[in-house]
Amino acid sequence: MALIEASGLTKHYGQVKALEKLDLTVEPGIIGLVGANGAGKSTLLKILLGILTPTSGSASVLGMDTVRETRGIRQVVGYMPEHDCLPPDVGATEFVTHMARISGLPRTAARERTAEVLRHVGLYEERYRQIGGYSTGMKQRVKLAQALVHDPKVLLLDEPTNGLDPSGREEMLDLIKRTGTDFGITVVVASHLLGEIEQVCTYLLAIDAGHLLSAAPISHFTQRTPVLAIEVEEGADQLVAALAATGARARQDGSRVLVAIESDALYDTVRDAVADLALPLVRMQQERGRLEDLFRDTAPEQVAR
Amino acid sequence: MNSPSPVTASSPAGSIYDLGYRHYEGPRRGRAWAMWSLFVESFRGVWGFGRPMSAKAAPFILAGLYALPALFQLAFASVIAQQISSGSETQLLTYRSYFGTFSFLVVFFCVAQAPELVCRDQRYHVLPLYFTRSLSRVDYALARLGSLAAALFLLLIVPCVALFVGDILMQPDTFKAIGDELPKALPALPASALIAAGLSALSLTVSSFSSRRAYSAIALVAYVLLAEAVPSAISAIGRNSDWTWTDKLFALTPITSLIGASDWFFGQVLDPRKFAGALTADAYVVVALMSVVIFTLMLLFRYRRLPA
Repeated sequence: MALIEASGLTKHYGQVKALEKLDLTVEPGIIGLVGANGAGKSTLLKILLGILTPTSGSASVLGMDTVRETRGIRQVVGYMPEHDCLPPDVGATEFVTHMARISGLPRTAARERTAEVLRHVGLYEERYRQIGGYSTGMKQRVKLAQALVHDPKVLLLDEPTNGLDPSGREEMLDLIKRTGTDFGITVVVASHLLGEIEQVCTYLLAIDAGHLLSAAPISHFTQRTPVLAIEVEEGADQLVAALAATGARARQDGSRVLVAIESDALYDTVRDAVADLALPLVRMQQERGRLEDLFRDTAPEQVAR
Repeated sequence: MNSPSPVTASSPAGSIYDLGYRHYEGPRRGRAWAMWSLFVESFRGVWGFGRPMSAKAAPFILAGLYALPALFQLAFASVIAQQISSGSETQLLTYRSYFGTFSFLVVFFCVAQAPELVCRDQRYHVLPLYFTRSLSRVDYALARLGSLAAALFLLLIVPCVALFVGDILMQPDTFKAIGDELPKALPALPASALIAAGLSALSLTVSSFSSRRAYSAIALVAYVLLAEAVPSAISAIGRNSDWTWTDKLFALTPITSLIGASDWFFGQVLDPRKFAGALTADAYVVVALMSVVIFTLMLLFRYRRLPA
């Protein structure tokens, strides 16, 4: 059964089109949901949670419709909002236990699960202190803990690394990765930071201005035709012409020349071409296809064709 | 229930958190349990349990002050009994008049604690966490309302119990005294319930319209003061001008109408010297019940519109 399915999913806020005819089928795993701020990531998550009703179209989580079977979905979904959502005057243990009970766990189970989950997210002695005194990193952990405490099948995380310093970021990403792989919970991570998504996800959904840009396993994005970037101080246009004459697929990109690496012989071709033209060569480096290219005009595939 | 199974390390990577994850196989309860849990948490919250000591100060001081006169009467029951037996005229506190006399303390209690229940979750954006669980918006509002009503009922009933015990102790024959006192005391139960319902619906609804505690408290004080003062003032003018319709305005007063309604349970009417020709006790009961319904609907409406 598909984890998330959406067909023709549209959400308008008055004139603003947050989502526009989105079609999706996503299988379990760690799913990255990338897009710039305002691309519609949070809106999509909220529709999946049933907090928002789509303007048209439909979506389902684990086969349950988000409008008609909201209660069923909420039993198996954990949600970590983007913004602060913790009252400052209670301890983490108290708060997470309370949320566990609201999720339907009996008293004892709620206490046990809270202790366990807080340990998993890495909160120890400080869990009895009031949340108001916590650092941002600790608050993010409590937010993750309250989403995990009822052992959901699907975890929806909205910008989980917001406001964290680099090491806190790494720890949070590690935690997300372990949740997905070791705990066997499907995780949907919404983020505008592609670098992070790249590290933890197995599947990537890219949305932009409410439209689906691409949806594919992460390997698809990182295993494209490699591209050689050649930087010369002058004469980039001559080099392109010279390379094109040898049959290589080259394109100028500012002061750089991008060439598709189709065989190792290319390196020799480039060396000879540069030497023949007596161009001041600065650097040559292979560029692996990266996720950033999704959002750039000069994606390597376009270059190479 | 999940039996305690040995903790296993599941990943060879071995980070410090890595103590293995166990899935929860136990029962999952539904809405009713979620509402009950929220009710319990709110009830504890009203009295400051599970919060820092400073959160307990306001509710306990106000509740203590409210119960104090009744406790005094209880403490000096024997002295009062002697005075009565010696034939001196003693003005005793009654179940009926107690709330009317000390209602300002109950209002203070509402002003202090009602915002606590509804502003915190709005201010710190906790609501999305509730609304993405099995709790609906209506469930949330009703659980919060119920807990404040229960807390107020407790607040109102404690002095009545103290009065009851005191009255019994004043009389030589305890068993006969219980038989005599009980019919007089029992109306305090439904009367307190109605007052608690009316005040909680009013104060929670007014409080829920702001996310800042201070604004909610001010709004509540302003509302109660104005709604009490304006009808009284107009009817005072009306009495001088021989208008009769102005007395009907007493239906708009939040506290006076609750006092009037509670008198119905004791089979009496508000003092006609103070409220010349005002509403009948029956009318006050209708007014009180209507205000509970109207304020509750407003509360639900408010929570329907709050963004998650």
